[in-house]
Amino acid sequence: MTVLVVSNIDLTTKLQVVKPTTFLDSTIKEPTLNINNEYRYLKTGYYVSMHAEILGNRVIPSCENIIDSSRTPVFLLRAAKAGVLTLPVLVTDSVKKITNELGFPVLIFAVNPFIYDGYKIAGNKSALYRAMKSLGMNYKFAVCAQPLRGELSAVKTYFGKTVNQDIDIQKIAEKVYRIFGIPICKLYIQKTVDKAYLCGLQPVDKEELSEQDLKIISKEVSLISEQGEAFGV
Amino acid sequence: MSKIACFVEKYNFTDPREESALQNFKAAAEKQGSEFHFLFREDISEVPRYDAVFIRATTDPLNTAYVVSKTAWELGLKVIDDPESITICGNKIHQYALFEKYNVPRIPTMFLNKDELHHKKISEIFDALGKPVVIKAPYTSFSRYVEKAACETSFRDVAKRFFRKSDVLAIQKFTPTAFDWRVGVLNNDVLYVCKYMIPKGKWKHGAKLRGKPTVIWGRTVSLRKREMPARLREVALKACSVVGKGLYGVDIKEVDGDYVVVEVNDNPSIYAGYEDSSDRDIYRRIINYLSE
Repeated sequence: MTVLVVSNIDLTTKLQVVKPTTFLDSTIKEPTLNINNEYRYLKTGYYVSMHAEILGNRVIPSCENIIDSSRTPVFLLRAAKAGVLTLPVLVTDSVKKITNELGFPVLIFAVNPFIYDGYKIAGNKSALYRAMKSLGMNYKFAVCAQPLRGELSAVKTYFGKTVNQDIDIQKIAEKVYRIFGIPICKLYIQKTVDKAYLCGLQPVDKEELSEQDLKIISKEVSLISEQGEAFGV
Repeated sequence: MSKIACFVEKYNFTDPREESALQNFKAAAEKQGSEFHFLFREDISEVPRYDAVFIRATTDPLNTAYVVSKTAWELGLKVIDDPESITICGNKIHQYALFEKYNVPRIPTMFLNKDELHHKKISEIFDALGKPVVIKAPYTSFSRYVEKAACETSFRDVAKRFFRKSDVLAIQKFTPTAFDWRVGVLNNDVLYVCKYMIPKGKWKHGAKLRGKPTVIWGRTVSLRKREMPARLREVALKACSVVGKGLYGVDIKEVDGDYVVVEVNDNPSIYAGYEDSSDRDIYRRIINYLSE
């Protein structure tokens, strides 16, 4: 089976790789593997998957998964439904509600059209006001709040694999890839003494991709391309 | 009896005609024995307590409204607007690509990628669509982010601004008309028909006065749906069929005796005394759909 690899990253593979702009001008009808360091809505990584879907191609990742994985409350809801451990989530613009229902410390992610990365941790009410002002863009938008019960790690994952040695974290990364199929992303995971909780997903900057990372990505791309298992064939 | 949550933002209550329409929805729901509650941003966690969600706040895959829609959808609730409709209607590139695929009569449209903003491509666009052209950002709503360009300089100026947020834009043939048809559609059936008049000397329904931030809107002329031309109905329903089975407002232009689709909008405006003037049953029908 032929898999069309569309990538904005220079992969170290012998496979033929098509640039996103070339693919967007084409009508190639083949299962499509969309490799991009960021799959932000309205950006090229998103349009590649959209174009593939319009052509009727099976594509990794799908537009639905791209949108849902970047909306933290939706991402966590779907992950929890699939059995991934998550903590209670509040989507609100009310400091009082977060204070009363979650307490401190609390982890805040943005839920607005303008901020797509970063987070804030608030240990008290005044820090929470500052976090909501910044991530809620002067209280104009709601934020997504979760209790912070352990140590928060940002884990780069490639096709569900990570170099992180923690087994719980590895299991979460694998599961998240099975649910959302985002090939390259950064997962935020909280680790307590005995459990790991998924907290969010964000894009990886191109500068954050080391040579080692590129090798892992290229190897996975070659495997998928040869076996086609990820496309159900 | 079902419990319906109507997701709104504060701005939904600033225009008395919209507020009145929202109260009409509430009255229609209560008349048929359903509960109808306004749900604001701080109450999103209460979505699971309801049977259906009706979104009136502005929808976009990046807005809180999408989070509400998808949450309701994942929980198995009936929802207007459903997440897929928001995804397709919130991105006009997606929508026009589907129109092309399924041969929906439409205004001639080309796509422009961020990397293609150069003299050769712009010349190709002007050659194919004539001058001026209409440049549309994919996230356009309420006539915003839609601008006209008649030369390469203004084309570049508008495109650069729109490219800040999206890597692909839609370019359309400039098609001036005295009005746009607005056909309200629910679940593949026509709900209401209006003419959105274009203000005198302008080319879109909502236009800014030169040098002022105020937007002026053209009149809304409501018609009985049974009087609508058969071809108009056919084109409106065909356009909606590629989007989904929800609630839509289809904008259509009449050109040389035929009809071409401008766009399909989810979350269409419903103002008391405007869209509901000729067919008063729109509130009841939407509520019935939500409580089925």
